[in-house]
Amino acid sequence: MSSGMVRRSGLTMPVNNPRFVQKAWTRGCDFIILDLEDSVPPAEKAHARTLVREAIDMVAKGGAEVWVRINHHLVLEDLEASVWPGLKRINYPKAETAREIWLVDRIISRLEKERGIPSGHVEIGANVETALGVANALEIAAASPRITDFGGGGGYDMSRDLGVEMFVDFNQFVYGSGELELAARVAGLEVHSTPYMPNPSGSVSDGDHAFRVAEATRKLGFRMGGGLHPNVVEPQNRGLTPTAEEVEVARRVLEMYEKVSASGRAWAAVEGTVVDWYEARRARDLLEWAELCEGRDREKEETAARAMGADNG
Amino acid sequence: MGLVHLRGGNLPSPKRRSWLLVPPFEEAVDEALGHGPDVLVIDMVELVLPEANAEAVKRLPGVVERALEADGVEVFLQVNVNQMAEELEAGIQLGVSGIVIPRLEWKAQVRQADAVLSRLEERQGISAGSLQVVASLDTALGNHRAMELIQTSPRVWGISPGRVDLVMDLRPGPDGEFHLLPFLMQRLIIAAGAAGVTPLGAWWRPPARGLMASPKDTYEAAIRGKALGFRGAFCILGEQAKALNRGFDGQGWEEGG
Repeated sequence: MSSGMVRRSGLTMPVNNPRFVQKAWTRGCDFIILDLEDSVPPAEKAHARTLVREAIDMVAKGGAEVWVRINHHLVLEDLEASVWPGLKRINYPKAETAREIWLVDRIISRLEKERGIPSGHVEIGANVETALGVANALEIAAASPRITDFGGGGGYDMSRDLGVEMFVDFNQFVYGSGELELAARVAGLEVHSTPYMPNPSGSVSDGDHAFRVAEATRKLGFRMGGGLHPNVVEPQNRGLTPTAEEVEVARRVLEMYEKVSASGRAWAAVEGTVVDWYEARRARDLLEWAELCEGRDREKEETAARAMGADNG
Repeated sequence: MGLVHLRGGNLPSPKRRSWLLVPPFEEAVDEALGHGPDVLVIDMVELVLPEANAEAVKRLPGVVERALEADGVEVFLQVNVNQMAEELEAGIQLGVSGIVIPRLEWKAQVRQADAVLSRLEERQGISAGSLQVVASLDTALGNHRAMELIQTSPRVWGISPGRVDLVMDLRPGPDGEFHLLPFLMQRLIIAAGAAGVTPLGAWWRPPARGLMASPKDTYEAAIRGKALGFRGAFCILGEQAKALNRGFDGQGWEEGG
C-alpha cells in the first residue's frame, strides 16, 4: 500500500554536527534525519537535544521532510526536545513491543497538543533491529496509526543482536526482513524494503552502488531510500524515480488492457507481453508514482529557490 | 496448548502432481485433458472476468459434467471466496474431488466452505467429509494466518501460494528470484508440515509469471519445488502439465514433455 509520500532519499546526521546540519538543506533530500542516537556520544546527548528545535528549521529550507531519531532508552527527554512544528516523524530505534510504540504515541500526542501541531501530524518510524522486535512484528506495525510504513530487519544493530557479521556476500537477514515485510502488508502499511545486493566493502558513499540498489528497489515496486553520505542522495532520487520509458510503457499497457477487457478476455498476450488486471494495476501504480515524484521535485526546487533568495537578500 | 498433528501425514497421498487451471468452457476442458494433468481445476476466479461470472456460473454444471466424463483425471473447482455458495451449488457433482479457494484469509470463510460442502454432500449422496479443500494463500493476511486457516477444518487437504507473485505483486529481484517468494514458500511448507497437510507449489523464477512458464522452466520449477518440499503444483497452460508430472516424479527433462 502506498502512503502517497515521496521519500526516495534521506540523510541521517548527528544533530550536534553544525557542518552537516547547515549544509543539509542543499543536498536535495526528500527527508533528513536529525540523529540523537548512535551518532551522538552519550556525554553529548543533553547538549544535542538543545539543538534540535533550531536544526529542524535549518534543514527544512530545501523542502525536505524533517525526522528525528531518538534513543530507545531516553524516550521522554528526546521527544520533549524533538516534537516541534516542522517535524514530520520520530524514528524510534530498536522497537520491540507494541507497548513501547503506544507510549511514544501518547507522548507525541501530548506534545502536539501543547505545541500547536495538528493532532496526528507526527509519524512514528518503528525501526525493528532485534530478534524480539521481529517476533513481535505485526503487533508493532499495528500499534499506532502514526506508523505509515514498516520493514527493514537488517542493519548494524540487527547483526549485533544476532551476533553475525554485517558485511557478507549473502543475505543473512532473510527471515527477519520477510516477517517484517509480511507484517507491513498485513497491517496495510507501505513496505519499506530494499533488495539484497552485496556490499562487502561496507561503503556508505558509493553513489553507483546506491543507484543500483535504488533502481532495483523501484523495480520491485518499493519507493523508500535513505543513507548516510551526500553522495547517495542524487543516485537515490534518480534510481527511485520512474524513467520516461517506463512511463510510456505503463501508458501503453493500460491502453492494451482496456482493449483486452473490452473483448471479454481476462488476459491476452499482446506484442509478446501478458496483459491482464495485474499488469494494469502495476501500470497505474507506476504512473501515479511518477506524478508524485515530479510534484515532489518541483516542490523542493521551489522551496530551495526561496531559501536561496532569502539568504542572498 | 501446543500444536497437534491433525492429519495422517504419513498416509499415501493421491497422485496429484499437476493441477491445471482451465476456464469454464467445455472446449477448454477437452483441450486441457489432452495434456495429461493429474488434476483439472475448473477455474471461476483467475480466468473469468468478474463481469462474466454470472454466465460462467450458468455454464458450470455442463463444464463439470464434461470434465467428469474423462478417465484418469481428478476434478476440482476453483471458486471465488466471496461467492462460494452460488458457485459450489452450480459446480459440485458426484465425482468432484474438492475445491480450491484463492485469497482465503479468514477462518469464517473456511467454516462457510465447510458448511456449504457438507450440505451439498448430503444432498447429492456424497460421503460426508469427502470433498477436500485446498487453501490458496496468495495474500499477505492469508500467509500470515496459514496455521489457523489450515486448522479450521479437517477438509483442508492442501495449501498453496497460488498466484502469489501477482496477487501480492512480488516482482523479479536482482538475485533472479521473485522478491519475498523464497521466504513465503518456506513459511508455507513449514505450516503445512506442522499441520499435516500437503504443500502445493513450484519454485517459480522469472520469467515465469502467475503460474505461466515455458515447459522447460516449469519442469525446473517443479524440480526445485520438490526439493523444497512441495508435492505438486498448479499451472495454467496445458503444455506445463507434463512438465510438472515429470518434475515431481523426478524424471529427466525431455523436450516436448
